[in-house]
Amino acid sequence: MYLTVSDATKTYGSFTALDKVSIEIEKGEFVCLLGPSGCGKTTLLRLIAGLTDLDSGDITLEGASLADLPARKRGFGIVFQSYSLFPNMTVAENIGYGLKIRGAPKGDIASRVKDLLELVKLPQVADKLPGQLSGGQQQRIALARAIAVDPRVLLLDEPLSALDAKVRATLRDEIRQVQRSLGIPTLMVTHDQEEALALADKIICMNHGVVVQAGTPEDLYHRPATRFVAEFMGISNLLTSETVTRCFPDLLATRPTGGDSYLACIRPEQIGVTPDETGTASVRSISFLGNLRRLEVDSPAGPLLVETHGANPCHVGDRVALGIGGQACTWVLDDVSQSAAAE
Amino acid sequence: MMNTAASSPRRQFDADRLLTLACVGLPLLGLILFFAYPMAIVFLRSITVGDSYGIENYTTVLGSSGFWRATRHSLVMGGATTALSVFLGFIIAHALYRCAFRGKWLIRAIIVLPLLAPSLVQALGLIFLLGRNGVISRALGVEIEIYGFWGLLIANTLYALPQAVMIIGAALVLLDARTYEAAEVMGAQPWRQFRDLTLPAARFGILNAAFVCFTITITDFGNAAVIGGDYSVLATEIYSQVVGQRNFNMGAVVGIMLLLPTVISYAIERQAIKRQQAAQTTGQVPFRPSFSPLRDISMAFVSALICAGIVAVIAIVVYASFVKLWPYNMGLSFKHYDITLAGGYGSLWMTIVISLAAAAGGTIAVFLLGLGLRRLPQALAQPIQILAAMPAAVPGMVLGLAYILTFNSTATPLYLLYGTAALIAIVNFYHYHTQGFLTVATGFRQLPPALEEAAGSLGAGLGRTARDIVAPFIAPMLVSVFFFLFMRSMVTLSAVVFLTTPNLSVAAVTIMRLDDAGLTSQAAAFSTCVMAVVCTAVLFMKLILLLMNRRSGSRETN
Repeated sequence: MYLTVSDATKTYGSFTALDKVSIEIEKGEFVCLLGPSGCGKTTLLRLIAGLTDLDSGDITLEGASLADLPARKRGFGIVFQSYSLFPNMTVAENIGYGLKIRGAPKGDIASRVKDLLELVKLPQVADKLPGQLSGGQQQRIALARAIAVDPRVLLLDEPLSALDAKVRATLRDEIRQVQRSLGIPTLMVTHDQEEALALADKIICMNHGVVVQAGTPEDLYHRPATRFVAEFMGISNLLTSETVTRCFPDLLATRPTGGDSYLACIRPEQIGVTPDETGTASVRSISFLGNLRRLEVDSPAGPLLVETHGANPCHVGDRVALGIGGQACTWVLDDVSQSAAAE
Repeated sequence: MMNTAASSPRRQFDADRLLTLACVGLPLLGLILFFAYPMAIVFLRSITVGDSYGIENYTTVLGSSGFWRATRHSLVMGGATTALSVFLGFIIAHALYRCAFRGKWLIRAIIVLPLLAPSLVQALGLIFLLGRNGVISRALGVEIEIYGFWGLLIANTLYALPQAVMIIGAALVLLDARTYEAAEVMGAQPWRQFRDLTLPAARFGILNAAFVCFTITITDFGNAAVIGGDYSVLATEIYSQVVGQRNFNMGAVVGIMLLLPTVISYAIERQAIKRQQAAQTTGQVPFRPSFSPLRDISMAFVSALICAGIVAVIAIVVYASFVKLWPYNMGLSFKHYDITLAGGYGSLWMTIVISLAAAAGGTIAVFLLGLGLRRLPQALAQPIQILAAMPAAVPGMVLGLAYILTFNSTATPLYLLYGTAALIAIVNFYHYHTQGFLTVATGFRQLPPALEEAAGSLGAGLGRTARDIVAPFIAPMLVSVFFFLFMRSMVTLSAVVFLTTPNLSVAAVTIMRLDDAGLTSQAAAFSTCVMAVVCTAVLFMKLILLLMNRRSGSRETN
């Protein structure tokens, strides 16, 4: 393992921000910390950066503990949501600042800055001040500044959240491209599951200061371990064992032992609908989302969401037959209603 | 591998921690040595009777009719000045921020003039205007008794007015255009808008201004000394106890008594500011008043009238300084600029040196304190912040008295500072510590923590971050604090009046002595020189801030 966090705990007064969290990042890996606000993901990133002190637990890089090392000696790069470029320095000075601190010769800094500006596709802005750039441009410069010093780990704290949708999508791809080409192990905090799915080699899904599930994007989307992950990773239909037994008994085959605390999670694109006069379900509403249609269907199992690609002959009010394959469902632990009951 | 961390202490020796400690520690040591300790000494002296402690001093003072007269006068004067200056201040602030007419910049500029001169200049100006030989008295052929209540009231009001205008104006600005637009759409008449929107918005501002004006008035010494006549107030009472009767313990008692209302007033004022800040919202649309003849012409007229009064009082001092023999020979000459009092202009140069030292040292101290406090846990930072904001509650007279009691005693090596220019620079800084500290604190609040964290992640230590990131960011605040401390040090009288010696005087004290000696025209000449220095400083500050603004302004052109 390249970077490991083991049993990291951090409390603020009576509030536990992180409760014995352990994560691992491999060389060259792009890891996303995903979760709702207040789940502890930013606290974890700040612990790794050295901007916040650990209460207990340890963080190691290539086997060596980082606990005693202040942020400035860790050699990490960090990009904040708020860009945080130094307003009194030009773009070139911002990017070169880390190298200047390390005492690099002026000529080296200049050529490195030039290369990085090429890399982030902003070769002409070297002499501008940050305030003269757009948000997306500023964030590109912030990225260049962070990677200028060849960081051992790149930390991204919701870097795309302040940008508008189009810029966000472009910059997302660029971050991925830069990270791939340089191979810097990267940890990104985000609350946007789509962003995490698109970028990450590995997603670590957090809630209430603990890691709920860690795995590949496919794992988390198609094989969520708990109801929280299933709901956070996208739209899903969650059916109780009782409903499944009554309406879709085929799905029970895969149910783990200790059944009643599990819910069947069925993604909307895994349900087929065909117009059928004798069908048991009917279409309540249809939303047109461009590349797909989302149908709300009333069925004996309750209301279900269905997504279909391309043209679909169904209309509101049509009776339809539902097709759910045996492999379409994942059984997830119902951690949401449990924790709700605990509260 | 994991247990290496467990066995080694969290965070070993770290240069940054040491630097943080120094940043907080040095200014904190200053606050304790030059503020908390002297204040404790004043209190101890007030309960010192012979060689032991007791409350006899208090019973003596409380039993004397002179003290009660001075207290009554102080409270009446404070109340009257407060009412008048808040009323006039509201009119001007309303004119400036809620009315439409041209030439507001002129009103803005004139309003602050009294702050640029020693407080006794207002009193001097009134004497030249309304005194026995004043131009107005002679023109009208009437004998006006300017010494006493009315003269002091006008002088104090002129002095408190700029504060009232600034504080109330700041409150009015908070109410943005959309609020008025909403009221307009709902059909509210202008008078209703004023009553239901403007007045409530200014509520905390008015309250705040009232307490500031009250504090300024009851602690001011210069006006009371020059124009108060027989109307004794607490500030002059302390002076006569200490300088007249060499009765330090009694002076300390009166000082403590003067401290009571100012501390209470200051505490309420701080609360009012907090409430007002809580009401602040982001993304405001500034209010642009449209022309409304009745309202705007009358408001502009009243404001212009008040401004004319201010200009008259200050201009007459400048004019009188050039008059050959007031009021008998009104020909002009420079002869009063030849100061005949021992020392001549020496005290003016000395004051400039002292003021530069107080400004430079003070700016560095509050910068370091602000920098260090940011990195301290809240539980530790908060008490220090409270201590740093306390000096504003202490009247200059009391602080000056505290200094003479502390530094004129051979009990500690601090005695070495007594009678030095350094001690005067120090008392000036701590007298105005709060305002400087709060200005810098505002700057630090605007500095996003992520900037420092970004610098830290790039490998910059505290020293480097402070120099490359923090200082440039809050540079405008530092410039403001520097010039604020410089200007206040140039004109202040109350705190330094006890600390000057026959060999070491400052400008404001020299002006008072010239006036005492009957050399009123020379006092006017000396005042004019002080005002010239301060006005030059103001111009410098405006220029520097303009240049800085232009540099950072170019960032925003997007």
